[in-house]
Order: sequence, then structure tokens, then C-alpha cells
Amino acid sequence: MSVSLLREHSEQQFAEELHELAQADRRTRPPNWKLSPWAVSTFLLGGRLPNGFEVSPKYIGSQRVIEIAVATLATDRALLLLGVPGTAKTWVSEHLSAAISGDSTMIVQGTAGTSEEAIRYGWNYARLLAEGPSPQALVTSPVIRAMQDGKIARVEELTRIPSDVQDALITVLSEKAMPVPELNTEVQAIKGFNVIATANNRDKGVNELSSALKRRFNTVVLPTPATDKEEVEIVQRRVASLGRALELPAEPPALEEIRRVVQIFRELRGGVTADGKTKIKTPSGTLSPAEAISVVGQGLSLAAHFGDGVLRSQDIAAGLVGAVIKDPVQDRVVWLEYLETVVKERNGWKDLYRACREITE
Amino acid sequence: MTSSPAQNVQIFGIRHHGPGSARSLRKALEELQPDIVLVEGPPDAEAVLPLLAGEGMEPPVAILIYRPDQPGQAVYYPFATFSPEWQALNYALKSGIPARFMDLPQALSLAMEPVRPAGLPTGEQPVELPQEDAPEGELPEPGVLPGEDSEAEEGQTDETGLETEDKALPEAQSDPLEWLARAAGYSDGERWWEQMVEHRQDSGDLFQAILEAMTVLRSEIPPRPDPQGRESRREAYMRQTIRAAQRENFQKIAVVCGAWHAPALAKIGPAKEDAALLKDMPKVKVQATWIPWTYGRLSYFSGYGAGIESPGWYDHLWETRNDVAIRWLTKVARLLREEDIDVSSAHVIEGVRLSEALAALRDRPLPGLPELNEATLTVLCGGSDTPLRLIQQKLIVGERLGQVPGETPMVALQQNLAAEQKRLRLKPEAAQRTLDLDQRQTIDLERSYLLHRLNLLEIQWGVKERTTGQRGTFHEIWRIQWQPELAVRLIEASMWGTTVLEAATSKVRHQAAAATTLPELTRLVDQTLLAELPDAVDDLMLRVQNVAAVSSDVGHLMEALPPLANVLRYGNVRKAHSGPINAVVEGLLARIIVGLPGATGSLNDEAAREVDKNLVAVHNSVSLLQNEEYSRDWQRLLVRLAGQTNLHGLLAGRCCRLLMDAGAFDIEETARRMGLALSPGVEPPQAAAWVEGFLSGSGQVLLHDTRLWQVLDDWVSTLDGEIFQNLLPLLRRTFSAFTNSERRQMGEQAKQRGSGRVAVATGERDFDYRRARKVLPVVARLLGLPEPEVAEQKIPAGEN
Repeated sequence: MSVSLLREHSEQQFAEELHELAQADRRTRPPNWKLSPWAVSTFLLGGRLPNGFEVSPKYIGSQRVIEIAVATLATDRALLLLGVPGTAKTWVSEHLSAAISGDSTMIVQGTAGTSEEAIRYGWNYARLLAEGPSPQALVTSPVIRAMQDGKIARVEELTRIPSDVQDALITVLSEKAMPVPELNTEVQAIKGFNVIATANNRDKGVNELSSALKRRFNTVVLPTPATDKEEVEIVQRRVASLGRALELPAEPPALEEIRRVVQIFRELRGGVTADGKTKIKTPSGTLSPAEAISVVGQGLSLAAHFGDGVLRSQDIAAGLVGAVIKDPVQDRVVWLEYLETVVKERNGWKDLYRACREITE
Repeated sequence: MTSSPAQNVQIFGIRHHGPGSARSLRKALEELQPDIVLVEGPPDAEAVLPLLAGEGMEPPVAILIYRPDQPGQAVYYPFATFSPEWQALNYALKSGIPARFMDLPQALSLAMEPVRPAGLPTGEQPVELPQEDAPEGELPEPGVLPGEDSEAEEGQTDETGLETEDKALPEAQSDPLEWLARAAGYSDGERWWEQMVEHRQDSGDLFQAILEAMTVLRSEIPPRPDPQGRESRREAYMRQTIRAAQRENFQKIAVVCGAWHAPALAKIGPAKEDAALLKDMPKVKVQATWIPWTYGRLSYFSGYGAGIESPGWYDHLWETRNDVAIRWLTKVARLLREEDIDVSSAHVIEGVRLSEALAALRDRPLPGLPELNEATLTVLCGGSDTPLRLIQQKLIVGERLGQVPGETPMVALQQNLAAEQKRLRLKPEAAQRTLDLDQRQTIDLERSYLLHRLNLLEIQWGVKERTTGQRGTFHEIWRIQWQPELAVRLIEASMWGTTVLEAATSKVRHQAAAATTLPELTRLVDQTLLAELPDAVDDLMLRVQNVAAVSSDVGHLMEALPPLANVLRYGNVRKAHSGPINAVVEGLLARIIVGLPGATGSLNDEAAREVDKNLVAVHNSVSLLQNEEYSRDWQRLLVRLAGQTNLHGLLAGRCCRLLMDAGAFDIEETARRMGLALSPGVEPPQAAAWVEGFLSGSGQVLLHDTRLWQVLDDWVSTLDGEIFQNLLPLLRRTFSAFTNSERRQMGEQAKQRGSGRVAVATGERDFDYRRARKVLPVVARLLGLPEPEVAEQKIPAGEN
């Protein structure tokens, strides 16, 4: 393992944790699983092992969600992780495969251009021409390799893949086999094989799964952070590292401003104010934590380059309005209503109200 | 089996409304074959106990105990089929052995409660809502004192402090099982008990184990503050009842009580202390009866007493002995299919597998409700939680409504109504009569409240007639007629409360919670304000606010505003309090102002007319409220609307007029805008609509200012003949709304200024000139022209 890697795979980065978990794990493991379901969820959620070893949490959030995901894989059903962008779908999928198979690299990246070969198999045309169809001329996909090794195959952004290509997965998921008619043979999956797919449930213009395919997945929706404390922490940590990377001269952002941004995001996303007393309309955008991070980041850079270096409401306002108003008509109404009925009344928010009103009018 | 110091007594500690303990209890009773069953419950209700096995009795039902002189003080004891108490009583009645209640009688219990100020008119009595507050005297969860509960409901200050403190603790005192559950690593007591007891199919030494656990628990937990000694008295009374049964020589006495009380009853001890404790307690007169209950109301009590979150699930556990998960998910699948959500058997199979895998992952022997819900969400609903809400409502809580036998005694609500009728001198008569209520008089006002409240309870004693003319402000005309079936409605309504006021209030709250659209709520607000239910208003306003916030229909928002504005302005007539209404009005107005420009673009005639109606109503409301900020914002909106390019002519004209009347546009500006709207580039129908909007209501403005007159006059004169004919009905409609004198003045003005232009060439057509001539004098007079002298010879010969 080289130290100069830009990014290590989960199984490389957490090799020690996986090893300790395997040592401590006394529970039954499903065939070909490196760890028991209990240990897999511990790997994701963190915890202390009997020997005092501390497993770091990989996913901060609902324990329930991870348990459902692990239980799904244990019942050999395929797992579909749904969520808005920035809810750690890929992250969870990578760590699940690393914990279960010790290998998170059997991956198919879904794009509009993903072809059936990427999911099934292709041909080495030089060999095909020289020798005719033979197993040696076959170029296997990560899915086939996972089937042969009894590991987890990952399909990223499943809904971006054209529908007809998606359906190539149906046989794999129901028959657990991949026919190769050219060679009059098939690849049968050995125990331990499964598929984790991720998809974005907010995008427009994606290819909805056919109901035949959908039926073969258990769907787990990854939620946005449950508490504002959690979310403030995530945003704060990311913004701090972001500021360092960009070498911004601005002061580190006041926690107060971050709290306000997170609160606005959470309120608009949830359709109800933080005190739970007033309902509000929800805009069409996703307003994920990732966007909150970018709003604060943008504000920081505005403050650094055009302001006095201190993050103020004016610096936040522009990014905020841009993040909320994605649809110029509907979202504008939502945003104005929110400003007028919520922000305006709130103690100590007058500056933000004025700054936002100036930009929105 | 349970052994206790007293040889002939068996203690069964149960959890109220627990299907598992009900099943175990029934089995244990069948094995024991007792000759008497003592159940924790109010002895006051023993007289109505035989009705339990009566024809037409169908749980869920509740025993209602109330003071006939203070119907507001009432206690409900709900039962479901899966309630262990119900099963015990049912067993006793079916096997023909005596069944007795052994708790402290409510006659004594209610007497310990502070007496509320008596003699207040109903309208000012504090309203209590069983479903909102504590379950007063609900068959208490082990350790919960009904007294404590009812005081919470009373809003007693001295006890409230304790209540909140107790809540801050993890309900340790009130729900001792919570502690056991925490010790066992469960997140809440209900799940723990469900896992340990309710899911068991064999009873075994269950009751012995419960007795031992509770004995330990009671010795560990510091005693709950019991200032009135209510708990000790309750247990003393229970012991006394057991002693009485022993004295009567019953050989096998089965005692069914909340688990918490089990240890206290196991050691009977000497009677002397108990007798001393119960001596000289004050007593009040109470009455008991059965009323129908619903699963929904069983669950209202969540977090308190015997409130259970999932009666429907418990019902399922009670009905189903094997394959609980499979049968549950099959039920879920059927429900989803009814709602047109595709669910196949394959889904159910995978759902069951997932729930079992989850249970295994969590080290549980069988999947419970959380596992089944998660499996439903993941497999059956594809991750979407909307169907889950339906499942929650229809299956987990359930919609079952109970029934009581016909011979059940009269309920408190009936008595309260009778008292009200007497107080307001309003006799129920089978004959129809008309009632004219002058609301300036207190008694008439209260009569009106009563009739409105009864209507809210769907007891239609009176029908309100539409009032006309000026009398409408203070007078209400009612047609009243008492029909026998209304008595049945009263019994049905008695589940909402024991007084008309209380019942109407809880019903409105319930309806408000169920209403999803603004028009529904607006209607409800209207009725509630008329019925003067101050305690329901707050809830209702909160609902209006919430629904308004997500409503995208500005029309609905606009309809909701005027009645509320009226209340705010004339609130003193009805004495309604205005605090929460103010907030709602402000929110509504802000939303209308933001949303209106978007909602008024490109409307057809019909839609424009609708918006116009609302626009005027809101405008009047805004003027009525006399709030400077509102008026300023509203005016700014009107200015914006008036300048909006795709606005329907009717609305543009209306805005212009409203602004002119409000002084925001002076005559010059108005004339300029009128000129713009009526300029040749504008489609004539659009211009005519503008004129209609501008002139609607009153034409005075035209008479006062010559510039406006001129603009209009010029426009009409330039209209092409055919177009004029097409527009004529529209213009006529506009002008016909003016008063006679206005029209006459206009005619004269037209004669003076525009003489010579009034005649419009109609071209050569086939006319019946003879008949046409007959109207000419009238037309001339209308227009203020001299009588026409029609030349005879102009009529071509042979016509006619």
C-alpha cells in the first residue's frame, strides 16, 4: 500500500479496524462474508470492541438505516440506496462492500453512456477474430467478477443508466446467473454475491427503474441529517477544511452564521420551522448539507475578497438566495413567504432579512 | 402457579391493554377455575357490569363515571377485546361466577378532587378534553394514580410542578416497567413488555415472575410522592375487597390488577390499618354507564396511563396466534392494494424475510412492530414513507368503533343538555317552531351558542335560517324541532365529552386535526366562532396556519381571510378572544400578498370573476382591520397588480378603482391608466372588462370627473359597430348596477357632451320598423333626448 495514494479504498484505509473486528467477531457469518452482520453494522456505526479497540464511526446518523441495509444484504436481496445528493450513499455502499467482501472495487459507474458490456461482458476483439468465441476472448464486467468470487458488486447512479441496460441486471438478481449465449454457457454466482446500487431520488430526467427491476431491490432511503447539531457539525468541519484548501484569508466562520444557514436549510427542507410551530412551503431544490457547505464557503470567499474578512449576513445572502431559488417562479414565492412569515419575525435576524430582501426583490 | 401468603388468593399482575397478558390471564383463569374474580376498576360501575355480556356490546367501549351535579368531572375506563380486565370480566360473566371491581370507588376518589367553581355558565367553564390531557382515571398503568392524572387535567398548580418533574425523569415513577426495560437494554417499556410478555404464547410461570420482579422494583424505587395518600388508599381498598371476599368464604379468589399493585396485594396483613385509612372519606354521588369508544381514542392517551400507541397491532396480536409477521404483512399488502399500490405476494415474502433478518440482527426472537414497519418501508413501499402513514392510521391504530347495548343508562351529556335546556328555557318539542334570537341579549346569545354547538355535534335540533336585511347583524332565525333519533346521536356524541361545550370543543379539535384543505377549515372556523368554543379556537388557528402555509391556492387563502378579519374587528360582539387569530390573519395576508401576482396571470373570464370577488373581500377586510402596515403592503400589491401586463381587464380595472378610492392614484394618474387600458391597441373585450372592473359598484366617479368621462366616451365612440354590439351586454351589465339617479345623470351628461354621437349606424337591415318605433320614446327618455319624430314615410311599404 503506497503512502502517495491520493485516496485509499475503505478496505485499505480501515484495514486495521476490519482485522480487529474479524478477530473479535464470534457470531455466525453468512457464507463468504468476511464479517457477521452485527460486525458489519458496528464497522459502519462505530463502537468499542470487547478488547477495548475503538472502531470509528463511518456513517453518522440513524442506526436503523444501517441495520436495514445489512439485514437486506444478509437475506441475499439486492440493496438500493436512495437519497438526495450529499447523503453519503456512495460512502455507505463502499464501506458495506469493504466490510462484507473485503473488497469495494467491483464497481460499475452508471452514466447515460453506460453500455450493456459494462454490466455483462465484452469481447477482446483481437482474440475473438483470431480464435473465435472462447472464454479467453471474453472481457468480464465487475459484476461477473463479483459473481465468480462471491463478493459485492456496486452499481453507482443506477438511474442514470439507460433503462434497457438497467434491465440486464434482472437476470443477475433473480437467477443469480449471467448467461453467455455466444459460448452456450453461463456464469453462476457463488454464495456471498450481491449488488448494492445507489441512485438519486431528486434528479429529473433520469431513467426510472422498471417495476421488474425495482421489485428485486430493497430500497433504503438515506435521510438528511436528523438533528441540527449533527448537521452544523458536518458543515462546520467541511467548511473549515475547505477554507484551508483555498487558503482564504478570512476569519474562520462564526458558528452563529453557520447555524443560521443550517437552520434555514433544515426549515425549508423540512417544511416546518425549527420550533415546530409554523409550517412553510418547500422549494424545489434539494438543499442538502453539501449545498449548505457551499453557501458558507462562498460567503467566506466573498467576505475575504470583497468584505472585511468577517463573514456577515450580506455575504451569506447571495449564496443563500441562489441555493434556494432554483425555479425562478415557484421557488421565489416560497422564499418570499419564508422571509416574510419566518425570518422577518425572528429576533436578531433583521440583518439577514434585509440582506435577503435586497437581493430577492 | 402463583403462590401467595393467603392460600385462597391468586394475584395476576397484568399490563393494561396488553394482548399477551390478556391471553395468559384467560388461560390461567381457565386452569384455576376461580369462584370469584376481583378486577382493578371502579366499584361504582358494578351496577352496569352485567351489560358487558349483553346483546350488542362490542368493544372498544368505556365505562364512564361522572358526577351528575358536575358532569365535567368524569372518568373514563376504556376496554378493548385484548384488555386483560375485559377478558377477566368476560370469563367471570360467561362462567356465571361473581365479578367485582376492587379499586377505590370514584365516589370517594372524585370527592378528593378540588371542587371547581360551581354555577358558572357553561360558556365560561374550563373545558377539559380527555383525549388531549391525561386520561382521567383511565385504568391506570401500574403506578399511575388516577388522582394524579385528573389533577393534571385540572391544571392544578400545586401538582403541575410534580408532573413536569416526573416527565423529566424517564417516566420512572409512573411506568416502573420502563426501568426494567432500560435495565434490559430496550429503548422503551412498551417494546420490552411486548417482547418479554405479549409475544409469549405460553404463560408458564409468568405471573409469578411478574410478582417477583415488581416486588424487587417496589423495594428499589423510592416511593412516589403521594400527598393525598391516594395510592395507599387505593391499595387499602383493594385489600379490603379481597378480605371481604375471603369472609364470604370464596375458596379460589382471582385478583387481576396492574402489575405494580401485585406485591401490595400479595401480602394482605391486618385489616385494621386499611380500615383506618379508609375511614371517614368524603363521598360524592356518581353515576356510571357504558359508552362506545374507538381505537383512535385508545391511542390518544399515548405517553400516559394506559395509552397505547398501536391498538390495531395489539388487536392483531390478540387475534393471531401463529405467523404474526406473515399475517400482518399480508394485511398491509391488502391495504396497499386497495389504495392502488402494487404489492405482490413476492413482496410479502421478501418483507417477512427482511423483518426476520432484522430481528436476528437485533437479537430478538421474533420480529416486532418496528421490524415489520421497516420491512414494509423497505420492501413494500420502495422506501417511500407516505403509504406508511396510511398503515399507521388504518392498521396500527385501527379505526374500530365500539357499540353498547340499547339498555345502557343515560349518559352525562344527555343530562347536561337537559340542564342546559332548562337553564335557557328552551324545551325540546316534537313540533317545529321558529325562534328569533336577538344576540344582544345574553340568554338569546347563549341559546344560539347551544344550538350551534349541537349542530357541530351533528345533533340537528335547530336549522339556522338565512337572515336578510339589516336584521342579520344581531338576529338569528332558527327553526327548531326535537326528533327522537337525536337521543341516539347524543349517546354517540357522548364519547366526545360529558358536557355540550366540552364535547363540541373536542369534536372541533378532532375535525380540525383531520381537515386537510383550507375551505374545510374556513367552514369549521365559521361554525366554531358562532358556537363560541374559545378552547377550540387556538387549535383551529394553528391548523389554519399550518394548512395555509402549504396551500398553493391563493383563492382559498383569500376566502379564509374575511371571516377572521370580521372576528378581529367585531370580536367584541361575540366576545371571542383574538390573540391567535391575529397571528393567523397576519400570516394569511402575507401569503396572499406574495402569492397573488403569480395567481392572477392569464385568467379566463370566469376565473377572473372569482378572483375579483375575493380581491374585493380581502380589500374590505384590510380596510376593516385598520392596520397601517397591512394597508401599506396591500396597497403596494395593488399597484403592482395594476401594472401587471397579463392581468385580466376586470382585475386591472378593479385595482385601479380601489387605488383611486384609497387615494393612492389621483385623478390624473387614474385617467392616464384608463386611457392606457382603453387605447386602440387593447382588445375591445379586454377594455370592456376593464371598464366593468373599474365601474363596478358605483358610477359616481364618472360624473365627478370630466376627464374620466371623456376617456370612456371617446373609447365608446370609436368602437366599430359590430364590436359595439358584441360588447353591449357587458357594458349594459356594468351600467345596470348603478342607481337610477346615477344613470339619469349620466344620460344627461351624455346628451350635453356627446349629442350627435349617440346614434350608431346600424346599416341597412330588415327591420320591423313599426315595432322598432314603439321603443324609441323610451330609449329617448332614457338617454334624455327629445322625443323622436319618426317620419312615417320612411317605412317602406309592404313591410310588416
